[in-house]
Amino acid sequence: MIRLDNISKSFGHHQVLKEVSGRISQGEVLAIIGPSGSGKSTLLRSINLLEIPTSGRVYIDGICINDKKVDIEKIRTKVGMVFQQFNLFPHMTTLENVIYAPIKVKKIPRNEAQKLGKGLLEKVGLGGKFNTYPPHLSGGQKQRAAIARALAMEPEAILFDEPTSALDPEMVKEVLNVMKALAHTGITMVIVTHEMSFAREVADRVWFLDEGQLVEDSPSQVFFAAPQTNRAREFLEKVL
Amino acid sequence: MIILDFERVWPSLPYILEGVQVTLAYTSVSLLLGFVWGTLLGLCKVGHIASLRWFAAVYTSLFRGTPLLLQLILIYFATPQLTGYNISIWQAGILTFTLNSGAYISEIIRAGINAVDKGQKEAALSLGMSYPLMMKDIILPQAIRNILPSLVNESIDLLKESALISVIGGSDILRRATIVANDKYLYFEPLIVAGALYYVLVMILTIAAQFLEKKLKTS
Repeated sequence: MIRLDNISKSFGHHQVLKEVSGRISQGEVLAIIGPSGSGKSTLLRSINLLEIPTSGRVYIDGICINDKKVDIEKIRTKVGMVFQQFNLFPHMTTLENVIYAPIKVKKIPRNEAQKLGKGLLEKVGLGGKFNTYPPHLSGGQKQRAAIARALAMEPEAILFDEPTSALDPEMVKEVLNVMKALAHTGITMVIVTHEMSFAREVADRVWFLDEGQLVEDSPSQVFFAAPQTNRAREFLEKVL
Repeated sequence: MIILDFERVWPSLPYILEGVQVTLAYTSVSLLLGFVWGTLLGLCKVGHIASLRWFAAVYTSLFRGTPLLLQLILIYFATPQLTGYNISIWQAGILTFTLNSGAYISEIIRAGINAVDKGQKEAALSLGMSYPLMMKDIILPQAIRNILPSLVNESIDLLKESALISVIGGSDILRRATIVANDKYLYFEPLIVAGALYYVLVMILTIAAQFLEKKLKTS
C-alpha cells in the first residue's frame, strides 16, 4: 500500500534520512524504532508529505505522491495521522474535532458525521465527553480523541508519531489499548514508538533506523528474538 | 489670578457631546474595515506567494513610516487633484484610517498566526484540509482569540488618532471643542471637556480590554 523509494532528507547540511526504501502492505502493523535522532519521525512524516523529502519518491496505492500534479489533500484523507502532542483543535469540542474534517473535507452530511463521530468516541471510551473542550481532557483522553479524529476520515492507513511519549505513565496503557484494538482490523498502522513491549506484541514487522538509515527490516518476532545487525542488538540491549 | 469659567461652556456642551458620535463613527467604521484589510495583509505576509509578501511588507513599512496626518491631508487634498473625484471629509477620513490601521493590524494578525502552535497546521493538513479552509476555521480563530487584547489597544490608538479628522474639518469632539473655543475666546475649558470625553471613552475600552484578557486567561 505504501512504498518508499530511496527517501533522503536533509535539513541544511544535516542529512536526517539516507536513501530509505521499503514497502508496507495493506493491513500491516509496522513499528519504526531506533535511537533518538535516527530519523524515525521524519520518515513517518514523509509518508503524508508533512515533510517533503529532499530526494526519493513516496508511493501510496501505486501513485507517486511527490508528483506536483497529484492532489495531496486527497491522498492525505487516505492516510491519517496521530501526533505526539495530540494537536486537537482547542476551540472545538471533542465531537466537533472528530466530525469537522468528514463534514468539510469529505462533505458527508452533518447528521451522518455526528453518528459516526459519536460511535468512534464511544469506541475509544470517550462516550461522555462529546461536548468537552480539549483543554479539559487528560492527556490520555486527548490522544484517544485524536485517534478517533483520524479514524473518522476512514483512512486506509494511520501514522502514529510517538503517540504515548507525551503522556504521564499511568495514561500510556489506555492509549496503547485503543491502538491494540485497532490493529489487524484491516487498517494499515505505521507506528514510531519507544514502547518496545508494545511493538513486540502488536507489530507484524519492525523497521530499525539508525543515523538516518534503515538498518534492519524484519518480522517483529525475528527482530526481538534475534536481531540481524550489531547496531540493532546494541540498541535492544540498552532498552530492554 | 486665573479664573476658570465653565459656566460659559455649559450651553455648548450638547454641541461638543454630539462629536462623540462622530468620533465613534470614524473609529468603529475604520476599525472594522481596517480589521478586514489588515487580516488580508496579514495573510499575505504569512502566505507562500512572494509578490504578495513583498507588497504587504512594503505597504506596512510605508504606512508606519510616515505621519498619519500627512496621509490624511494627502488623501483629502490630492485625490481631487489626481482623479478629479471630489472626496468628502468622511470618505477621506475613513479611507486614511482604514489604510493606516490595516498596516498596524496586519502586523498583529501576522504575529497572532505565527503564535498558533505549528502542530495545529500539521493536524489540519493531515486531515486533508486545503490551505484556505485551514486558515479560516483552524488557524485564524485561534490567532484572533490570542490577539484580542492587542486589537483593543489598536482601537484605543485609532480613537485618539481620529482627532486628526478635525484638521480637514470633520466635526468630531476636538473640532467642536475648538469651534466653541474660538467662538467664546475661551480655550482651556472647552478643550478640557474634549480631553475628558476622550479619556472616558479610552477608559471604557481599557476596562473592556482588561475584562477580555481576564476572561481569555480563565477559559
